[in-house]
Amino acid sequence: MSISVTGLGIITAIGEGVEANLHALQAAQSGIQWSEEFSLMLGQVHRSNASICAEFGLETGDYSRTSLLGLIAAREAWSSSSLNNSLRTGIISSTSVGGMDRMEKHYFQAKEEEMEETHPLMTHDNGGTTELIAQVLGIRGYVGTISTACSSGANAIMQGARMIQAGKLDRVLVGGVDPLAQFNMKGFSSLGIYDEKHCRPFDQSRSGLNLGEGAAFLLLENEKSMAVTGHSSICQLTGWNNSTDAFHQTASSADGKGAALAMENALKKANLSPSDIDYVNAHGTGTQNNDLSESMALKTIFGSQLPAFSSTKAFTGHTLAAAGAIEAVFCILALQVGLVFPNLNFVTPMEETGFSPITSSPQKQNLRHVLSNSFGFGGNCSSLIFSKS
Amino acid sequence: MMFVLSASTISYQPSFRNKGFSAEISPLDPESELQHPDYSALIPPMYRRRMTDVLKMSIACTIDALQQADLEQPDSIIVGTSMGCSLFSQRFLDKIYASEGRRISPTAFILSTHNSIAGQISLLLGNHGYNMTHTQNNLSFEQALMDAMLMGEEGNRHVLVGGADERNLDLYNLRTRLGLDTVHETGGASFFVLGEKASQTAPRIKLLEVESFAFVQDTSQQVQSFLHNRDQKPEEIDLVLFGSCFPEQQQLSSIFEPRQLVDYQNFCGSYLSNSSFAMAYAVDILQQGSFPFLDRPVKRILICNQLIPENLGLILLERQSDDHETTE
Repeated sequence: MSISVTGLGIITAIGEGVEANLHALQAAQSGIQWSEEFSLMLGQVHRSNASICAEFGLETGDYSRTSLLGLIAAREAWSSSSLNNSLRTGIISSTSVGGMDRMEKHYFQAKEEEMEETHPLMTHDNGGTTELIAQVLGIRGYVGTISTACSSGANAIMQGARMIQAGKLDRVLVGGVDPLAQFNMKGFSSLGIYDEKHCRPFDQSRSGLNLGEGAAFLLLENEKSMAVTGHSSICQLTGWNNSTDAFHQTASSADGKGAALAMENALKKANLSPSDIDYVNAHGTGTQNNDLSESMALKTIFGSQLPAFSSTKAFTGHTLAAAGAIEAVFCILALQVGLVFPNLNFVTPMEETGFSPITSSPQKQNLRHVLSNSFGFGGNCSSLIFSKS
Repeated sequence: MMFVLSASTISYQPSFRNKGFSAEISPLDPESELQHPDYSALIPPMYRRRMTDVLKMSIACTIDALQQADLEQPDSIIVGTSMGCSLFSQRFLDKIYASEGRRISPTAFILSTHNSIAGQISLLLGNHGYNMTHTQNNLSFEQALMDAMLMGEEGNRHVLVGGADERNLDLYNLRTRLGLDTVHETGGASFFVLGEKASQTAPRIKLLEVESFAFVQDTSQQVQSFLHNRDQKPEEIDLVLFGSCFPEQQQLSSIFEPRQLVDYQNFCGSYLSNSSFAMAYAVDILQQGSFPFLDRPVKRILICNQLIPENLGLILLERQSDDHETTE
């Protein structure tokens, strides 16, 4: 049973749509800027909620930005697909913010006005944000949402692949979304892990992350579905795994046990050896803890034969639940165009490992298999492997 | 298909560590309260500290379910929760509001993520396996169960799966205002160990099938085709536990006899992952093998969750006949 990727959709701080994102990646253009409004370095998507509502013909209403950013990416990946009764179709999204962007607005307003109104709490659900996307695209049947913090996007992709593999679905739109909200901006601030300058993943001088927002979706199909839709395969999803670090709610273990397990088991699933991997898109948030722990896990898996690797978070910011899906799209673009994307702002290898990520796009090359890492709170570690068809 | 090796539920009924509770329960009244066990006897102090209800209930049920199944480590941990750690989320919003730019303590934020429940369980057990959180309104638990069945097909021998949500008074007030006060807004947690092989001692309870449906237009047609696809006839279902936002409008009486239909929300109240309570209730009934007012043995139970009218969750459980020696 092969699982093909047949559609891609993405919106990030470096652009709206696959073409714009690829262009910025190749031009090494970061989307992270100082935000006067929030006094933070942020990877913001420069589309207002109102303009997205207008584009989709949604009556001006109180929609979560999670739904709206998700809609843009999901529609691009879904493209001209339509419902077909002979195909079992589903959508699996993922988010950590969910409806919190609306909830916090109403909640603070209610406090301000000393209102008893508690409407906001009803909007803090994740499932509803996915339902709106499904509704607009006309997808029925299986509508699901996963929430495992910053590994969510990878886990939604994995869930879709497993449901196709088990014969539960023929095709499924999978992805992740997170908007910027006070909740996550203040949350990461409370953890004291922001870099006030551009983040520097894997650099000795790294001092934290930049937050971003965005969404990405992939359309996954089995052969039966492709025969009906006529879509051709962009690449295949061949390996996946989720494992747990079981070390701390927010910090990663020193040896990156969970991360190493996820990579090892994803390789097993794809029936590949470490030497088959041509590029690793690392989680690489730019925090002291993540980048060291992930480096140790990479060392465990690849030993001295470390493939080209980079973190693309200095382009987009850390987009939380969307990151796994956004970086899956970047991996697939790498396979498609034969390029790996640079780890911006890297200068000095960290003392503990001496590892140097890719800092400029080298000559085009034939990439066969690429691996994407995503890790989240709760010690949640996921790896995906995409392979040329 | 997997076997249900153990079930543990904390609810508004005397359900925790009380086999046979299905015969003792009574409909909720406005004075009903969540029947918390003594957590100090169950949860290590470092986990109990600062935890809100949803975490305490989930961890207590996990410990109990694993003990009942005589299991130290499941291969996977899968949780369905609609609102997750809603009280921690609200607490963090309060802190943001009060902070006026000052640094805020991260504790509430750290534990506000939906996957704190499954994550804390993995930390408690030192479990490195698959760890997943499904959050799809009233279908969160069904989707967690579907995932558990997939893990079984993929070779997991034991899966810990549960559903949990905590009562949030602000939600309750809102529902009351919306006129939905016919149901008692509650919370609860129910966890299960599913195994590829049946246990040798207890009655063998099989989880035959589970499915979730979005944007359902014709409930009775969907239920009938669900049963048909599994070669089951409506008359082979002994009992239907249903949860509905509008119980008087449920469409199941066109398929089943009224005495077969039990509104499970009468016993657990309303929260979006309460089909997990219904499953614990069903497992207990199947273990007893009978149900009051039903003059026949209870072998097959269908759980029909439609707390949100367009979202339908269906769970089919069966007690294997006692003379059946093979475990497939």
